[in-house]
Parts: sequence; C-alpha cells; structure tokens
Amino acid sequence: MKVSINWLKELVDLKVPMEEVIRLLPLRTIGTKEVTKNFIELDMKGYNRADLLSMRGVAYEIAAITNSKVTFEEPKPENFTWVGKDLPAGRQDLPETPVKVENTTLSPLYCIAKINGLKVETSSKERVKKLADSGIRAVNNIADITNLVMLEYGQPSHAFDAAAIRDETLIVRTAKEGETFVTLDGKTRKLLSSDLLITDPEKAVGLAGVMGGKNSEVTEKTTEILLEVAIFDPKTIRKTATRLALPSEASTRFQHGLSRIRALQALNALIKMYQGLGGKLKSLSIVDNLEEKVKRVTLTQNKTNSLIGIEIKPEEIENYLKKLKFNLALQGQALRAWDVTVPYFRLDINIEEDLIEEVARMYGYEKIPAKPLQGEIPEKINQSLFDLIYNLKTKLVELGFTEVQTYSFYSSKTINDLRLTINDLIKIVNPISSETEYMRDMIWPNLLEKAAENLKYFKEVVIFEIGKVYQAKPKLNEEYRLSMLLANDSGDPTPELYRIAQEALKHLQGEKMQLHLGGEKPRENKYFHPTRFAALEKDGEQVGWIAEIHPRIANKFGIEKRVAVLEIKL
Amino acid sequence: MTMPKALSESPFVNPPSCARIKSVEQKISQIQKEYLEKIQQAKSLKGMDEIFLELFGKKGEITSLPKEFPKLSEDERRRVGPLFNSAKQDLEKAIEGRRNEVREQSYKKLETEKFVLQPERLQAKKRQGHLHPLTQLLQETIEVFSKLGFQQFDAPHIDSEYYNFEVLNIPEGHPARDLWDTLYLDPHNLRTQPGRMLLRSHTSNSQIRAMKELGTPLRIMNIGRCFRYEAVDARHEHTLEQFEIIYVDKGVSMANLQYLSEYFLKAILGQDIKARLRPKYYPFVEPGAGVDGLCLFCKGKGCKVCGFQGWLELAGAGMIHPTVLKNGGIDPNDYSGIAWGFGAERMAMLKYGIEDIRLFKSGDLRFLEKF
Repeated sequence: MKVSINWLKELVDLKVPMEEVIRLLPLRTIGTKEVTKNFIELDMKGYNRADLLSMRGVAYEIAAITNSKVTFEEPKPENFTWVGKDLPAGRQDLPETPVKVENTTLSPLYCIAKINGLKVETSSKERVKKLADSGIRAVNNIADITNLVMLEYGQPSHAFDAAAIRDETLIVRTAKEGETFVTLDGKTRKLLSSDLLITDPEKAVGLAGVMGGKNSEVTEKTTEILLEVAIFDPKTIRKTATRLALPSEASTRFQHGLSRIRALQALNALIKMYQGLGGKLKSLSIVDNLEEKVKRVTLTQNKTNSLIGIEIKPEEIENYLKKLKFNLALQGQALRAWDVTVPYFRLDINIEEDLIEEVARMYGYEKIPAKPLQGEIPEKINQSLFDLIYNLKTKLVELGFTEVQTYSFYSSKTINDLRLTINDLIKIVNPISSETEYMRDMIWPNLLEKAAENLKYFKEVVIFEIGKVYQAKPKLNEEYRLSMLLANDSGDPTPELYRIAQEALKHLQGEKMQLHLGGEKPRENKYFHPTRFAALEKDGEQVGWIAEIHPRIANKFGIEKRVAVLEIKL
Repeated sequence: MTMPKALSESPFVNPPSCARIKSVEQKISQIQKEYLEKIQQAKSLKGMDEIFLELFGKKGEITSLPKEFPKLSEDERRRVGPLFNSAKQDLEKAIEGRRNEVREQSYKKLETEKFVLQPERLQAKKRQGHLHPLTQLLQETIEVFSKLGFQQFDAPHIDSEYYNFEVLNIPEGHPARDLWDTLYLDPHNLRTQPGRMLLRSHTSNSQIRAMKELGTPLRIMNIGRCFRYEAVDARHEHTLEQFEIIYVDKGVSMANLQYLSEYFLKAILGQDIKARLRPKYYPFVEPGAGVDGLCLFCKGKGCKVCGFQGWLELAGAGMIHPTVLKNGGIDPNDYSGIAWGFGAERMAMLKYGIEDIRLFKSGDLRFLEKF
C-alpha cells in the first residue's frame, strides 16, 4: 500500500512532523518498504491488516499512534445519497436495476447503480496526482473515480459500459467448466467452475473481483455506466487471481476481506463523485445477504500483563484501545475484564491475544524490558544424531577435509552425465528452473560436480558433505548421509580416503559407527571403477560404499584425475 | 561458426586471383586430409593434445589460415569461408571422437588395475580442512541456547501442507500464504497419504510435532534446510538454513522474548549489539514480533548496510498463537510460548562480511578455505 503523504495530511490533523510518523510506523504498526517525499509504502506482503489497504484505515491508525485526530467523520447511513429515494424499504421512487445473484455465499453483497449523463474525459490534475502518489496510473475520469474510492475506503468497484450490457441486466454466477472469457487486457481466459463470473443474459462481462471484460469496458463513447460495488468470497477471488496470475490492487482487497459498512460508504462516495461530473443516479439495487456481526472480545488485565510480561495499568489499556477506536465496557471491577467491541474495519481482531498485541504495540514493543527465562529445564532428549553429525564434521576437518554444502537437487548436467533414471527421483511440480526439478537421492554426484569446478584452481580436492538425500522408492524417505570425495594425482586415491574415513569414524560413538568391508557388491556400480569398490557395513548391514569413480564418469564431468568417493548412511 | 571480424571489415580490395584462391582451397583440404589421418593414428590422450595444439593453438594450422583471407576477393571469400568452417568442424569432431576412442580403450585397461584398499604402506598427507561457515555459526548458536536448556529436534524436509501450513494457523486460501512461495512435489511417483506434499518452507513444521511428542515444559531448537520458490541472485536463495527455537512454559511473556533476542545477539554478534522488538505479522504467533539488532556496522548511526535506519532486521518471533498451542495438545489457558527464528545465511553474511548469498552452496574452495 502506497500511502500518499499529501492525502494523509488531508485525512489526519497531525500533531507530529511527518518524520515522526515515518519513524513510528515500523515501531508501532507495520514495516515500510519505501519512503519518498510523495509516499510511504507499507510492507503488506502476507499481512492481515485489511484496514491498512485504505487511506481511511491508515488515517485511523496513524492518528492513534501519533495522538492526532482524523479530519473526517464516519458517514451516517441515513445521509446516503439514495436514502429517501428508495431506502430504507418502503418508498420505491428510484427503480431497481435488474440484478440476479445466483450464488449468495460467494457474493454476499452485490450493489449495482445505474448512472447516466457522463462524459469521458481526463481527470483533474489533483486527482491524477493523488493516484500517481498512490502508485496508480490515471485512465479517465470514470475509471479514476473507482480507483480513488478504492484507495480511500478500501472497497474496489467496477464500471461497466451500460450500452454493452444486454437488457442492462447483470447476473452473478459461477463459470461453467471450460468456459472462456476475454479479460480487459485482451487475453482469452479458460475458466473453472470455481471461478465467479458477472454476466448479462447472453454473455460474460466480468471475472468477479479479478478483472472486467473487454466487451463491456468504458470507452470514450460511454455516457451511461452500471457501477458495481460488491463483496465476494475472499478464497474464491484468491484462487482465480492466483491461477490466472492476475494480481491487482482490487483483488488484493477482496482477498483481505471487506465490510458492509465501508462498502456502502464507498457506494455513496462513488455516486457523489459521479454526480460531481454531472452524472445522474437512475436506478439502484442492493442485494444484501451478508451476515456481519459486531465483534466482541473479552480482554483481561491479568492475561494482558502476563503475556506482555509487565504491569500495564487498566487506564492505560483502556486508553490505548480507545485511541484505536475500540469500545470498552468493564465487566466487573474485581476481575479487571472488559467487553471490547471491535471497530468494523478491524477484520484482523478476533481473539484476546489480538487485543493484547494492540496494547503491546501502543505501549511500544521496544520498551518491554528483558526478563530471564524461569521454570524448570525440560528432560533430556536423545541428541545422538546431532552430536554424531557435528563430531564427525569436526573430526573430518581435523583430518584435512573441507565441508561443502550443495543443493538438495541434481543439476540438469548431473542428470544427463550420469544418465539418472528420473522416474525414480522425487520431482518438483513447480520448479524454479530445470536445476531445481529433481531431488538428489545420493550426495556424491553433487560433490563430483563441485570437484570438477574446484580442479580448475586446485591440484587436489578433498571435500565432504553431510546432508539429507530423498528417495521416492520403495516409499517416500529422507535420510542423513555422509559423502566424502578425494581427487588427486596419486592414480589411486581410494585407499587414502578409506584410511581417513576409518580414522574419523573410529572414535565416534564408541564402536557403533565402526565400518567393515562388506562382501556384497554395492548397488551403484555402473558409476564405479571395475575393480576398485567395496561395500561398507555396520553391524552386518550395508550402510554405504567406497569406490573410485569410473574415469568415464569423471571425464564427463571434465575431471582427468582419479576420484575416490565414499557415501554412507548415518 | 562466424568469420573473424577483421576479415569482413577489411578495407583492402584485392583483385580476383584464381591462383590465390586455388592455393588456399588446396591448403585447407591438405590440412584436413593430413590431420584426419594423424588423428586416427594417435594412440594417447597426450598425443591428441599435441595434435589439437598443432591445429588450434595460437600458431596452429587452422588458427593461421584466416590470415590469408584478406588477400581474396569478396566472392572468393564467400567460397572459401564455408569450406574452412566445415574443415574446422570435421577436425574438431574427429579429435573429440578419437579422444573418446582412446579413452574407451584406456578404460578397458582398468580391469587390470589392482585394488588394495588397505596397503601396508600409505602416506597419509597432512592437510588443513575447513568447517562450512554456516556450520560454524549454527554450532555457536546451538551452544548459546544449549546453556538455557534448549535441545535439538529434527523435522522432515519433505512434508505435508498439514504440518507446514494448516496446523500453524495458515489455512488454504489465506493471504498469509503469500509469505512463503513454496515448492510442491509431483505426486506421480510418490505413494503417500492424500494431501499435497511440499518442501518445507520453514523449520516451523517442527512445532506441532515437538509439542505432541515432548509436551511441556518445552525448549527445543530446530535447525536445517528450508526451501522457497525464489530465483537466485546475490541476495536471494531457494535453499536456506533456518534456526528456530520453541519455548513453552507457564507464564512465558514478551519480556522473555526480549531477553532471548538480546541474549542471542550479544553472544553471536558482540556485547554492544542491542535488540529491539517491533510488531510483525506471522499467522502462527500472536502477538508477533520482528527482532532488530543495532546495526553492527554503524552502531545505530545509520549507514548503507542498514539503509540509514541504524537497525537491521535479524529475526522473526512472537508468542505462539493459542490455536497452534491447541493443535499441539497444549492448553493456552495454562501455557504460553515463544517461537523465535532467523535465517542463517543472512546472519552469517553480516557476521563474516559475506556479500553474495550464492557462495554458501557454491562449494567453491577459494571461499570455504577462508573459514
């Protein structure tokens, strides 16, 4: 969210300089991504503060943390521009626009206002600047109003060209599997039955909450619009926007969640702004199936103080929450518990701990003193695997080996050069590139690759890695392994590698890790020198092998020296 | 194969000369014939290397040929060019092919090579090995937290959406999932229970397992590899080492969180490093906190490294969300807990002054031998 600094100053009567706002925001509210003279960008990635996706929400927040006041008042529903014309129910002077919402769960609030008498032009300089500071490009006076209202109230809206809508009738329904639709950007989208569509009686005209349709967009000829203000199911919008890779300012807001109160405030603001352009409200429909209750959460002083770890006075707790527009009613003096009413725009507040965070951040996280841990130390648990791994590492280093860490994947070159059977490997369904597509089921190929790279600069390479390998067969498995590699000019590095490995393992874990040569041929022998390989056993069970890598393989990796490798399961 | 640049840009215009072009053409085919024979007769890789140098070395036959081209007219060059290129390619191919033949013949001799794994006399060479910088940093960290009674606990790298997300209060379709761009497994050759499998995006997949297995009081460390869908550059990696502690007991508070943060940063980065908490959202904690350390380069004055903030974000933490405690079989009315973790690469980059995150997994000994 890019917060326009000029706009913010319109909405808050700041009692502190802007530098102080910039300093306080990350300490009290949310991290900032970028700060310029025109805007402050809040780091909203993954955040749950839907209210901070609106200038009004940001204004409330900044007023609270700077002891300032907002300059606006909450619009009262009885003053909405259409009231007295048709709402509250009773008088129907203003006709309804034909609207049919087929799925009220996915579209709990759906409003359409018909406005005519418009003329498409460019917006005023002030509006263009406001949008630019907020990171949005101006389009024309009609579209710009939808964006300005979205920025101020957090409520997206969409203007259809009424002339393009058959019978001026709109239907909200889920798509048919495989149905196609051309979005505003001119691309044809293939839809699933989980996507929500806006249609007229003969064709689709919008992908709900995600993008409008090419066939009904506002053009320079448009004089009459059907203005849509709606609340859609956040998960449905998220699924569609993610699948079609169509992230937008609007769909972000649908995903974070919206409230009826703001939606109707936004509708009111939109109509007023179009009236300001000379437009006339001709009809209005509000299909409201939204179940929205005022949230009440109990907060106790006891829990607040024990979770934060300091004593905060009840008056202070009350004061902090009131600044943030919460209402508090004391449940009983003795208990020090409050019934806290959550402001409608704080969709993120649901439980007591949420309120405690509000108290803690208003108090200032950075002022919480350090308190040493108390309580008993838990019982010992088995640490032998971790000890083994670390002791092995230090012992190997002592014996002259350098620890490397390589990826858990095979490079495409390794797969090709070793002719690995990729059907046996665990595959990533959404790899970043072909280099992260298949998971390693052995470590040594990665060591061989690193040896080749290092031999450009070194006469010998003496390395090891301890890490996990991943197997698909016979069943999904991951296990820790040690792999060692020795490449030099000796012509036969395997005995030296064996000697060092024996030495390293000898003193660890008593006799537990003592390796013995096994009689069986190791499984991977197509990569090995025809005579120089041996299985390694522990307690009569094969746990790995030592071998000289077949020079054919080494040569393929660009290595002309002889290479000895060991790999064992830990 | 493109023609050498000097050739096409030659300012000289040469008169056409039948004799000259003939001699160049002859020379090309002569070299080709002579060397193809030589190549076929070569018996060793060393011999092959010599032939290669004779042809493609600095003063090699093939390398020198284009020097005669400027004497030719444009038309002639158009005839000679392709001839030259095809001869060059033929020879290269022949060398590569013969090299492989020579190699394959030498591989046959491998059968006769002896295998004495434990020879009586073996000179064990003295060498200096090096521990990977991440191992060093993490071991230091382990020792620091071991003193407070924390013990290591392992969790799988390959995991389900259930352990990686759902039980951590990150339901499907929640915008918080944007925090972790995740790599998913192809279920095709996996015989697993239903539910999507993934590469864990954080060590927090250990939380519920540890709570269920070990109960309270709980002090564990989970350390290891995590994976993200992330394009690699000097500051981003798809494979990361994380360190995380889980601490559950009666009366655990944010004041303890401040203590742990300070205790760790001072031990690892120096006694003059302060820790500062600030609000941060993670769905599995409430309240959530970002842990800043006083910038170790400017000590709070503000510099390029800290973006002139004076502070660096070093860890993420918070009070374990009551839903997560419940999922782990712990009653949030009686117990509270802390989850606290950091990315080892970033910490090591700051501590050791490493500028490129790719170095950690590079296996480059020129880098690793510095540690």
